[in-house]
Amino acid sequence: MILRLLARRPVLLALALVVAFALPWLIYPPVAMDIAAWALFAVAVDLLLGYGGLLSFGHAAFWGTSAYTTGLIALHTGLPFPVAIVGGALAAAVLAVPIGYLSVRLSGIYFAMVTLAFAQMIYFIVNQWRDVTGGENGLQGIPRELFGLDLSDPFLFYYAGLPFVLVGLLVAWRIVRSPFGQVLMSIRDNPSRARALGYPVDRYRLLAFVLSAALAGLGGGVFAISHGFASLHDVYWTTSGQAVMMVVLGGIGTLWGAVLGAALIVSLNDYLATAGFEETGIITGLIFVVIVLLFRKGLWGTARDLTAARSGRHRPAAVPDPPSSASSSERLDQVAERSGR
Amino acid sequence: MKALGLSAAVATVGALLAGCGGGPGGGGGKISDGSVTLAVLNDQTAIYADLSGKNSVEAVKMAVADFTARYGDKAVTKDIKVISADHQNKPDIANSKAQELYDRQRADVILDVPSSAAALAVANQAKAKKKIFMDIGAATTELEGKQCNKYTFHYGYNTYMLANGTGSTVTKDGSKQWYIVYPDYAFGQDMNKSFTAAIQKAGGTVVKSDPAPFPNDNFSTFLLKAPGLNPKPQVLGTMQAGGDLVNLVKQYNEYKLQDKGIDLAVGLMFITDIHSLGPDALAGTKFTDPWYWNATPQNRAWADKFMAKTGKRPSFAHAANYSAATQYLEAVQRAGTDNSDDVVKALEGHKFNDVFADNAEIRAQDHLLLHDVELAQVKPAAEVKEPWDYEKILKTVPANEAFQPADGSCRL
Repeated sequence: MILRLLARRPVLLALALVVAFALPWLIYPPVAMDIAAWALFAVAVDLLLGYGGLLSFGHAAFWGTSAYTTGLIALHTGLPFPVAIVGGALAAAVLAVPIGYLSVRLSGIYFAMVTLAFAQMIYFIVNQWRDVTGGENGLQGIPRELFGLDLSDPFLFYYAGLPFVLVGLLVAWRIVRSPFGQVLMSIRDNPSRARALGYPVDRYRLLAFVLSAALAGLGGGVFAISHGFASLHDVYWTTSGQAVMMVVLGGIGTLWGAVLGAALIVSLNDYLATAGFEETGIITGLIFVVIVLLFRKGLWGTARDLTAARSGRHRPAAVPDPPSSASSSERLDQVAERSGR
Repeated sequence: MKALGLSAAVATVGALLAGCGGGPGGGGGKISDGSVTLAVLNDQTAIYADLSGKNSVEAVKMAVADFTARYGDKAVTKDIKVISADHQNKPDIANSKAQELYDRQRADVILDVPSSAAALAVANQAKAKKKIFMDIGAATTELEGKQCNKYTFHYGYNTYMLANGTGSTVTKDGSKQWYIVYPDYAFGQDMNKSFTAAIQKAGGTVVKSDPAPFPNDNFSTFLLKAPGLNPKPQVLGTMQAGGDLVNLVKQYNEYKLQDKGIDLAVGLMFITDIHSLGPDALAGTKFTDPWYWNATPQNRAWADKFMAKTGKRPSFAHAANYSAATQYLEAVQRAGTDNSDDVVKALEGHKFNDVFADNAEIRAQDHLLLHDVELAQVKPAAEVKEPWDYEKILKTVPANEAFQPADGSCRL
């Protein structure tokens, strides 16, 4: 009964919002802000991986570019931080156009490698361009200016930063449920068929790439303002890897799963910092292995399947599932009906 | 149904926001509830775990025990806690943890914090929270330069000191021509600049200096090129650290550059590096060490106590953590309070000698600790008499020459 109630979307949404707003009461506020920012980052990666079928291993380029751009705007112009964050997200989107243009024609491991290579180039540039980025020292002392309001308390800043994350998540949710999202999923399932039906596959993929980069950038901007600095770590490949790991843990192609994965990884990192274990890498790795082996579809995907099986309820077709559930031709038919093709 | 759910959510959110007045984390707050808390924030899992890490926490605990024993009933407080956190060499975790340590764990001072991005981030937190931060692990001179602040102290070493000690002494000893290889990131670039300046001041020349990728496994390009340079360099100065240093040294030995008349000088080396490479791989290498455990009987006595606890000999970072904790507690004792502003006053300009620092002074202008440092040379394995007995002290560089003069870039 409770499960069935929880599985309803409005209930779930309300619950998620309550958790989002209550988070800084439950855990240390800067960590709560980290979870929110990373959740948006992971959702951006999931948008591309789960719905576009493209595994980007270089999203740190967008997260980090936005973190630095946001920081530079806030440091040098004195503009309020929301402007800086939007500027950062735009910079990430602009950067994504050439990178995406060159990489979306590849798929699978090649796409992952090319995005990784581009991200390493960005890392190199950030590392070398010391006058602007501070090199290894990072860009320090980014202010949190908002019309003279004092947001130095991380508890208050959480509520200033959260709207950006919520808007980002809403955008991701809208993208997935739009006709564009449907086409994207059908391209993921069967690119040749989509092409045969006249959809410009590469253009769709490019747009998805740019949107995903912008969302990652939005998260990166919030992260930079929250911490008051941007560092090389933000553009390093481990950051890309961590976002992919969050998505895989939470469940690919679920959006909710990415949020859950972000919460799990960030709290784990935070917990391990003071837990007194010597080898945090081994523990994170073990948890990853266990989850991947026991929950094939990630935490969220498995939970969803379980509740669906219990309540015997069929899911509406518009809700995306992993590739097997709905055929691409069905999707394209639906899109065609909706868009009057 | 959908509308109902949404309005429920809005109502809940509204209720939550209404109660938002006195949430947790309401800023710095008042300290001094009769207890003093020292927090060690460093890397206990990644690349700096060995040279500092958990054993620095032990060193700080030793400092507290010694302080308590020294003052007994006269101590300003008997309730001294030592806590620690592992930043995993990630600046963002260092930043969050520093806030948490200051705000929630009531830390009065944060110690160590290796790697410059993390250190500079924590320095900004110290400034914002008006709590003391004594950095040991980071080498950047920015901490006492442009990014200095009233509550941040830089303790132990920095890029200038490393370059100056090794660069000028080796040059004055007759090796005038240098070839420098440095890792191409901020630390390496700073080291290259400082080394070049020190060498030129001492009357030497830098034949060439080459940036190497970071991290890097293969240094053969640079090593093969070295003997053919014109004029031929007498010494190869490497600014690599950690794993890169290990690779470079191994390859330097394979190419037998020492037999070709090119000595090796290292920018930054910890005794743990020598321990993992073995002294033979590094024999003859000259470098600057802020402190060596077997340099004096006093150091040795402390190192024995340290070894009894940890099973290892201390690196200079361990000793510096001990010293920083000791000097902090002494300052609290002198000030009679753990109020940050008063403790800063007690620390500024303070002159002292302790097991780590000889002829030491905490410079008031920029909060840099000045102290005597050692120019050391790695012993060949044949001369090593006991485990960890790797260094021969060639010369002591006096405190007033070892560190950069205050250049006015720091405004506290």
